[in-house]
Amino acid sequence: MSPLGPPPAPGAEESSSSTPRVLLLGLGNDILTDDAVGLHVVHELQRELAGHPSIDVRETTEMGLALLDFITGYRAVVIVDSIQTGKAAPGFLHELDAAALNQLTGRTPHFVAVSETLALGRQLGLAMPEQVRIFAIEVEDPFTLGTALTPTLQAALPGIVSRILAALQPLL
Amino acid sequence: MASDMNPGTQQAFDQGNLRANAAYQDGRRRFTIDPITRLEGHGKIDIFLDDKGDVERAYLQVPELRGFEVFSLGRPAEDMPQITSRICGVCPTAHHMASTKALDDLYKVEPTPAGRKIRELVYNTFMLEDHALHVFVLGGPDFIVGPEAPPEQRNIVGVIGKVGLEAGKKVISSRKRLRELIAYFGGKVVHPVLGLPGGVSKALKAEDLPRFKQLAGDGLEFALWTLDVFKQIVLANPDYVKMITSDAFTHKTCYMGMVDDQNKVNFYDGKLRVVDCEGKEIFMFSPQQYLDYVAEHTEPWSYMKFTYLKPRGWKGFVEGPETSIYSVAPLARLNASDGMATPKAQAAYEEFYKTLGGKPVHHTLANHWARVIEMIYAAERIVQLVNDPEITSPEVRRVPTNVPKVGIGIVEAPRGTLFHHYETDERGLITMANLVVATANNAARIAMSVEKAAKGLITGGKVTEGLLNKVEMAFRAYDPCLGCATHSLPGHLPLRVNIYDRQRTLVRQLVQE
Repeated sequence: MSPLGPPPAPGAEESSSSTPRVLLLGLGNDILTDDAVGLHVVHELQRELAGHPSIDVRETTEMGLALLDFITGYRAVVIVDSIQTGKAAPGFLHELDAAALNQLTGRTPHFVAVSETLALGRQLGLAMPEQVRIFAIEVEDPFTLGTALTPTLQAALPGIVSRILAALQPLL
Repeated sequence: MASDMNPGTQQAFDQGNLRANAAYQDGRRRFTIDPITRLEGHGKIDIFLDDKGDVERAYLQVPELRGFEVFSLGRPAEDMPQITSRICGVCPTAHHMASTKALDDLYKVEPTPAGRKIRELVYNTFMLEDHALHVFVLGGPDFIVGPEAPPEQRNIVGVIGKVGLEAGKKVISSRKRLRELIAYFGGKVVHPVLGLPGGVSKALKAEDLPRFKQLAGDGLEFALWTLDVFKQIVLANPDYVKMITSDAFTHKTCYMGMVDDQNKVNFYDGKLRVVDCEGKEIFMFSPQQYLDYVAEHTEPWSYMKFTYLKPRGWKGFVEGPETSIYSVAPLARLNASDGMATPKAQAAYEEFYKTLGGKPVHHTLANHWARVIEMIYAAERIVQLVNDPEITSPEVRRVPTNVPKVGIGIVEAPRGTLFHHYETDERGLITMANLVVATANNAARIAMSVEKAAKGLITGGKVTEGLLNKVEMAFRAYDPCLGCATHSLPGHLPLRVNIYDRQRTLVRQLVQE
């Protein structure tokens, strides 16, 4: 069996046409300092994109398999999350290689990665997005309880917001 | 009693921890050379070799959550079920429920019968759903697909390849429906708003009962089907059974778990029972007495806290009849109890011990089987609760009137015993908050498992290939909750192993991104 599974089940297409075609999804924990940066970015854009005919903006503190419920039925999804690689300065905007999406890690100690969720959805015949762009912002402190970003991330936020907005345009 | 929690003890712990942190930081500066080792977001294993190049000690560290107490201070105690459920996206309902029970204790108010039953219904639903997620998605790659399978197959897609597409759909849809029940009562699954001191915020409407009865029946069928899958795929394979029972994954420690008044496993309420490595009861205590039985040990090389059985004193990372190390989670709960309170789960429990040679079972990997048995119990308990005439009573809350001071609440989370302890001023504003999470209860035994795995794979300075995978399996069997570190991409905890020689010089580093 192909790792990408069968094509979408009949009926899946209809459901996608009745919903906005593009989803902007912010991920993060809202009380873990910089872990919430994806939520902050999306929150800013929520105002900008309110009432947009083809973009839905959502934020969630859920992760892993729960993302399946969010992304099903969209043609394109843009995910904004936090990351800590240590190889870039805090505030740096990474874009995860789309090709890497289909590489399943096979070693998730605690939950399911985004790539795995997509592959699972495809295998189950759910309407998975054709295009997925994953942005991840390098963070400084995702381990301390708190509702404010670190000053470094606060300063980087406006620049990140405009870059995400720009990244949405070609998907429309 | 809770009054034993004197500030001096807490302060001593905190200071010891600070010193441990400083010593660790200092050591790390001295011994690490690669900038990647400075990452906080990595799981880190340090292996120290002796003169002969054999393993002397091996340590696992994971990033820890910081600032919980500071964040909580001065907040109304009623906010704690919401705050604590937001700490971790993995088991929000467990934190929410332990916190809610701590509020009952804080205000000395008993929930109404219907309030209690709704909590139990939601909690068992959560346990069933979370255990199912583990069996098929998290542990499944190791067991259903197989530990020796190529890495690209060891994931949920590989699991579905093995159990079949229809079965995969069953797993996903069951999970979704169970989460809908939780959402019915608590709103969002991740930020449940359900528990209040003295009860819950929402009653179950009689007209909604039929669909929950249907769900309960389906849930039980799903749990029993899961046991069949486990038997067919795992137990029928002699290689798996050999691995489960192998010495590398066996430790003779004590076990802790919550039990009802018949000493049967209970996730929601009861006393904590501890058995020794021969299965004999050595302690039984109420939540309010936990500080008399559970203490935290710190080591200079780690900022992690290792809990141990206080009456026995800290005796180091040792196994056997005298050890003060205990473990929690499904296997520990089964070992610490006299059985399951429901018939089908009890039958599965008996088969488990019969197959594995009697109580207690010391094989860490048997947690996967124990988890399936607990799924059956949770499902049977859900069926009992939705058929209880009281479940639709509108009397879901008793309003508290007492002045608050100290509250302690305990539940069995999927990964083991979870303690919440708050102290407040007379207005109910938090002055002290402490959590002992399941993974802290398991930390000492996890450390022993990692060390054992390392010892088996490194001799005379030679490192066997596959070290990373085997060491990782040793700690993944516990499904350690890596706290807040679980959220940020890339979606898993990168693992790094540092190997040091006798002079404490870094001789090799293995990194798995």
